[in-house]
Amino acid sequence: MFAIYKRLWLVNWAEQWQYRANLLMYLAFWLVSPIVYLAVWTTIANAQGSINGFTAPDFVAYYMMLLIVDIATSDITIHIFGYKIMDGSLSNELILPIHPVLMKVLVNNLAFKALQMMALAPIWLILYVLYQPVFAITVTHVLLAIPAIALGFMLQFFAGATITCIAFWTTRVWSISDFYSNIFRLLAGQFVPLALLPAFMQSASQVLPFRLALYFPVQLLLGKLSLEETLLDLGLQVVWCVILFVLFRLVWRAGLKKYAAVGA
Amino acid sequence: MLQQSAFGAPGADSNPIVVEGLSKTYQVTDREGGFGAAVRSFVKRKFRDVKAVQNVSFRIGQGEIVGFLGPNGAGKTTTLKMLAGLLHPTSGSAKVLGFTPWERNSGYLRSMTLVMGQRNRLSWDIPAADSFLLNQAIYRISDADYKRVFDELNELLDLAPIIRKPVRNLSLGERMKCELAASLLHRPAVLFLDEPTIGLDISAQVRIRAFLKEYNRRSGATILLTSHYMADVTALCERIIIIHHGQTKYDGKLVDLSRRIAPFKLIGVTLGDCADCDLSRYGTVVPGEGSEDAGKHSVQVKADEVAAITARMLAELPVVDLTIEDPPIEDVIERAFHE
Repeated sequence: MFAIYKRLWLVNWAEQWQYRANLLMYLAFWLVSPIVYLAVWTTIANAQGSINGFTAPDFVAYYMMLLIVDIATSDITIHIFGYKIMDGSLSNELILPIHPVLMKVLVNNLAFKALQMMALAPIWLILYVLYQPVFAITVTHVLLAIPAIALGFMLQFFAGATITCIAFWTTRVWSISDFYSNIFRLLAGQFVPLALLPAFMQSASQVLPFRLALYFPVQLLLGKLSLEETLLDLGLQVVWCVILFVLFRLVWRAGLKKYAAVGA
Repeated sequence: MLQQSAFGAPGADSNPIVVEGLSKTYQVTDREGGFGAAVRSFVKRKFRDVKAVQNVSFRIGQGEIVGFLGPNGAGKTTTLKMLAGLLHPTSGSAKVLGFTPWERNSGYLRSMTLVMGQRNRLSWDIPAADSFLLNQAIYRISDADYKRVFDELNELLDLAPIIRKPVRNLSLGERMKCELAASLLHRPAVLFLDEPTIGLDISAQVRIRAFLKEYNRRSGATILLTSHYMADVTALCERIIIIHHGQTKYDGKLVDLSRRIAPFKLIGVTLGDCADCDLSRYGTVVPGEGSEDAGKHSVQVKADEVAAITARMLAELPVVDLTIEDPPIEDVIERAFHE
């Protein structure tokens, strides 16, 4: 089993390097919103002194941390797998004795992530020099952030895979995926730190899983959470991962049945 | 159906492929062209049933190479996809190596392969060698087995010069060689080949054919292949199954098909100086391939009259040369489709 993951990694890693230009554009797309939000909010905070207690250095620290966590927990399943359901090339993978999503797409995600991190590093350093963020980070935070980020990614991966499976019925999934990512951007804390959202949106973000994938690990790394809060959210992450995993399995199985009925 | 298969005893499960009454009906959306129809179809879709495969049954014995023939849309690919586990049948059953294909048991997936000439399984961005190693891991092939099988495939397909180039830089023929090799590394016992030579030039076709024949001889693998190139069929398949409109039209030996469908032969005669010779007295004069100028003509006669007519021709005409040939296989199969 490990040998398969290792080979998949090597192949995916090699594949990613083939498209340097595409990778850079993708990265630009990925970074442009957080960097814009960073610039906009710090400008406003500088002008007003603070927004609901958030000062300009708070925004800088928040977005600088978010840039890293966002890449670490993001999922691109819909982009690398959706079209395979649409154009039928999924058939090529279904005849292999491995799970196309839980093995191939998962590793593809990780390889892309690794490369994104490498590309982010110089940009992040430039931003660091420009904005001089102040982090109050401890070893405990980092150790707790490792499972929080891993679970945050798994949560997004299972959610993304489930949404991608909608293509089995609708053929095209871009509109659903765009809708989802906009909701995510708002309720996971990318658009603005969740503490600054209107009360009803904050309540919504509390019961939905999105904040667990981004806002929670960011807050954890910024040292804003107590140990109890952290353990509670880690527990919630596990619960949501299980729920979304089961949901994915159900939708995948039903989707394959549909695929096998209408013609692959 | 013209003839029951002479191959494989009914009920014997030693046959690696056993298909019983397999049917597949697709539901397709149906709408007229035009703007109004598009809007109506957006609100309410109309569906129509398409019977792609109807009650197809056959058995294929260990090590057989069977040609699965039929015009476009006959149901060949649908049948292959059901046997490869990609499609659920609407009714009927199939056992391949004792597995029900569409249950997609990983033991089954590990022991068969499906090669589609128009689809590629290799990653375009990396050299085939990397994809081979991935397949080695996926199919859990030991290093020793991998080396042995690869060396053998390399010997047959001459892979060494091409597997280090990214797949996108390979010619179609080179890519097909790599596709075949990638599909065979795990030594599948059953091969489903859908148009394995499509789009290839003649010499590449010849090489792929020779390879398949040799692979079958060495490995004893069972092969079911579709092709529109009759040369593939005549070179590889002793037995063919003809399917048309989803139904089996013929299942038996290729050589028997001509006898049943087209019980005639072509007598090719080259005549000396003979301005008013009337060949239609002997049989149906077939428009030739433009060689009449040289005095060569083709006459179609019933198979059981060949000897008598040939004797008469030799006696009555200034014959310079005479040949007796079977009708072209394309014509025979074309007739079988529509019989």
